[in-house]
Amino acid sequence: MIWNFLKPVLIFIPLAALQLVVIPLISIYDVSPNLIIILVVYFTLLNGQIYGTLLGFLLGFIFDLISGGMLGASMLSYTISAFIAGYFYNENKIEINTTSLLFVLIVFLCGTVYSFIYSSIMNVNPDVSLLKLFIDIAILPGLYTAIFGLPIIIFKPKKGIV
Amino acid sequence: MLNFLRRFIYQFKEYFLLVILIVISLSFLASNEKPEVKKIRTFALGSFAAVNNLLNFFTGVFSSDPSINQIKEENARLMLELNRLRKQGVENQNLRNMLSVPDTSKYDLIAADVISKLVNKIQGNIILNKGSDDGIQVGMPVLNSNGLVGIIADVTDNFSVTKTLFNSSLNIAVTVQSINVDGVLSWNGSELIIKNIPTTYEIKVGEKVETSDFSTLLPPNIPIGIISKKESLALGLLHTIYVKPFADIRSVSNVFVLKVVASKQINQLEMNLMK
Repeated sequence: MIWNFLKPVLIFIPLAALQLVVIPLISIYDVSPNLIIILVVYFTLLNGQIYGTLLGFLLGFIFDLISGGMLGASMLSYTISAFIAGYFYNENKIEINTTSLLFVLIVFLCGTVYSFIYSSIMNVNPDVSLLKLFIDIAILPGLYTAIFGLPIIIFKPKKGIV
Repeated sequence: MLNFLRRFIYQFKEYFLLVILIVISLSFLASNEKPEVKKIRTFALGSFAAVNNLLNFFTGVFSSDPSINQIKEENARLMLELNRLRKQGVENQNLRNMLSVPDTSKYDLIAADVISKLVNKIQGNIILNKGSDDGIQVGMPVLNSNGLVGIIADVTDNFSVTKTLFNSSLNIAVTVQSINVDGVLSWNGSELIIKNIPTTYEIKVGEKVETSDFSTLLPPNIPIGIISKKESLALGLLHTIYVKPFADIRSVSNVFVLKVVASKQINQLEMNLMK
C-alpha cells in the first residue's frame, strides 16, 4: 500500500523540478503543459478513484509547498481533477484506458478542470473575466497537457494485443 | 440506524472522502498567513529551490556568461538613471521643484537569476536564487535592464518568491510620465490595465508609464511600460488604458532586486492590501 503511494511520489520529485524549471521555457503566452496532472491521471486509472483522490491531494500539497504558490490551491485542484479521472477507472479496462487515445482525452479533461479551478482560486482581480478567459485559462493548458500525454500511449508496451 | 449510517457512508465513501479533502484544502487556503504554515512553506521552498537551482544550472549552461550579467546590471542602473533624468526634464518644463524628486539611482542592486517559474495566466510567480542572506526583504522591487518585473513576496535564507506584474493580486500605483496622471495598474489575466482615468486628460498611445510618487511600496520613477491602447468607458467620461511592459516578463532569466528599505509600517499596510 505504501509502495503504491511512494512510487508516484518518487516520480513526482523530478517531474516537479521539470515542471518548474524546464516547462516555463516551452510555455506559450503563459500556457504550459502540466506534467503532474498526467502522473495523477495515470495512477488514478491504474488504481481507482479513492486512491487517485488521495494521491492528487498528497501531490498537490507537496507541489504547493515547493512551488511558492498559495498552500491549498493545487491541493484542491489536483484532488478534484483526480476524483474526476477516477470515474474512468475500470478494473477490466485498465490497459485500454492507459494505452488508447481515451487516456489523452482524460488528461485533457482533467488538465482543463485543474487549470480552471486553480486559476479561479488564485484570481482576486474582479477585472478578470472568467467566461472570456475560459479558453485561455482552462482549455488551452488542457490541450497542451494532452499533447504531453501522447508519449505515454505511444511508448507504453501494450499487453495482450496480438 | 447505526448499520444504515455505516452502509450509507460505505456506499458513498468516495464522495465523503472528496468532501473531507476539499475541506482540508480550503482550511489550508485560509491559513496561508499563519506563522506555522509560513515556516513550513519557507523550509520546503528553500529545500526544493536548491534542486531547481541545480537543474537550472544545466538548462542555463549554454547561455551563462558572467560578463553579460555585469553589462545587464550596468544597463539596469543606466535605465533607472535615464528615467530619473527624463522625469526631471519634464518637471523642468513645468517649473516644478526639482529638489523634491527622489533619487532612485542611489539604491543598491542585487543581481539574481530566475531558477523556476510558476506559469499561469492569473498568478505569475518566479523564484530567485537570492534570499534574506543576500539582503533581500519582502516588498523590494524586482527589475531587469528594461523595467519593472515584479515585487518580492516571500523570502527564505537563500531564495525568494517574486510576484510578477502578470499576477492578478498585484496592484501598483503608477503615473503617466508626460502628464503626471496617477492610476492603479493591475493584471486582468491577459493585459496590464489602468482603469478609471478621466477623459479630460489627453493621454496618447506610446506615452511612458512608471511607478508613482504616491507608492511607498515601490520607489518612484521605475519604468514599467508604454501605453499600447486606450478605451473610453462610462459615456466617454473615463478611460481604460492598456500598458505594454518594457520587461519581457515571460522570458526573464536575470533580474536585479532594488535594495530599498521602505517605511516598515506603511510597507506592511500595503503588503496587506496585496494579499
